[in-house]
Amino acid sequence: MTRLQIVLTRVFLLALVVAAWECLPRFGFANPRLLPPLSDVLTMLAQLLGRPQVHEAIWVTAAEVIVAFLIAVPLGAAIGVLIAENEYVGDIFRPILFYVFSIPKSIFLPMFILMFGIGFGQKVAYAAFSTTFVVIMSAAAAVESVKADHVLVARSYGATRGQIFTRVYVPSMMPVLLETLRISMIFNFTGVMIAEMYASRTGIGHLIANWGENFQMRQLFAGVILLAVVAIAFNETVRYLEGRCSTWRT
Amino acid sequence: MANVTRLKERPEATAIEVAGLSHVYSGAEGGVAALEDISMEVVAGRFVVIVGPSGCGKTSLLMMLAGLRHQTEGTILCNGRPIQEPDPGRVGVVFQEASLFPWLSAADNVEFPLVLRGVSKDERRSRSEAMLRLVGLEGFGARYPHELSGGMKQRVSIARGLVQDPPVLLMDEPFAALDEQTRMTMGHELLRIWSATRKTVVFITHSLTEAVYLADEVLVMSARPGRIIDRIQVTLPRPRTYEMMATDTFGRLRDRIWQQIRKTSQPGLEG
Repeated sequence: MTRLQIVLTRVFLLALVVAAWECLPRFGFANPRLLPPLSDVLTMLAQLLGRPQVHEAIWVTAAEVIVAFLIAVPLGAAIGVLIAENEYVGDIFRPILFYVFSIPKSIFLPMFILMFGIGFGQKVAYAAFSTTFVVIMSAAAAVESVKADHVLVARSYGATRGQIFTRVYVPSMMPVLLETLRISMIFNFTGVMIAEMYASRTGIGHLIANWGENFQMRQLFAGVILLAVVAIAFNETVRYLEGRCSTWRT
Repeated sequence: MANVTRLKERPEATAIEVAGLSHVYSGAEGGVAALEDISMEVVAGRFVVIVGPSGCGKTSLLMMLAGLRHQTEGTILCNGRPIQEPDPGRVGVVFQEASLFPWLSAADNVEFPLVLRGVSKDERRSRSEAMLRLVGLEGFGARYPHELSGGMKQRVSIARGLVQDPPVLLMDEPFAALDEQTRMTMGHELLRIWSATRKTVVFITHSLTEAVYLADEVLVMSARPGRIIDRIQVTLPRPRTYEMMATDTFGRLRDRIWQQIRKTSQPGLEG
């Protein structure tokens, strides 16, 4: 298939889903109380975006996501680099990290609530905790993607340690690092949502959980669409940068 | 080229002097002797090839000549001064395949050593253009390594090794990953570049044909621990031609190296 055919098929499939979402409940093939028509959901989304209560929830969630990200990424990257660069640290901590990485992080959520109470701190701490492990793993992989030959070349031309870092490590790791950012944001966002849905007084996750419990399906779907758009937009932006930075990767 | 070193002013100067060099690796089961009592002298402007069986420590020796590894014993002098750490002003290194930085264009790869020393952009560009012209890649500066063939990549590596105009060029099996035809062409090209720049070259290979074709002198190393077991003067006239490979002299030299290497290889592993 040509590129155009593939794109057209995708658009067609999307149109099919949109049409089904609109028509099935409208014409009685699906229960509109369970699946409200898309147009109703979009109207609700527009209304919700005008409400101060929703604005507040968006800001709270955004703040939690950003703060958790800013904690998890540098922390995880530092630990990951240490593990990959220092043989002893790596030998000691690598298995422990793999063990902890394999545990579903959500089971620790009650402990975070006991430690931090219900609020901003608990959401941020839990999301940062669940994200850090992914960042550690990817950052270690990024360091390991640096070729020893390239470091040797730089050394043979008299590069200092600083120059080896900026001229060999950084460009070598850039594609993997961007991928790390992208994947860690997915985990980070998930972490905040789980924490908000589990126990919270505000935030988008809290609203979505509430709407679900109260059987407010139009609001619930509107919230889902809002979150999906934000998440996809971030992911695609970083993916675009990844593509720009890794044309040389083969 | 304005910046070619004039070695002819001191015709018999010694470029590299290695004396009593030994190396022992500390492994899990105690020390492993990698190199044993290596002594060699390379006259400035000569092309010396080191051959030996796999694992004889020839790459280790080259790394020590480049100041990238430290020997356990012995001294290495380059232009009369000891080599203790990489000194790109005295020694340029051309590595095995895939040593180019894939995120830099060919020109930027050639300029890399100059960037480290903070040379201005204009001067870098003019030097890299001159080097790319020298290695026959004029107009390819903007290409990235993945857009170049294996032979072209090694041309870029050679240009990078020469860009600071060091009197000595060390080459670690630079053509090992190339196919036979490209390899022959590259050998011939290297001789052309060498005669244009008159560098002292130490070249490592495991190809006997390549060794005889390129060298003024071939040093044969033994299996581990690596020692120099034979020094063969290649008397074939220069410039070398492909036809020389069919001559008796070429065959005899090639055979003498092969016999030496065969003797030193472990029994049972002989070809």
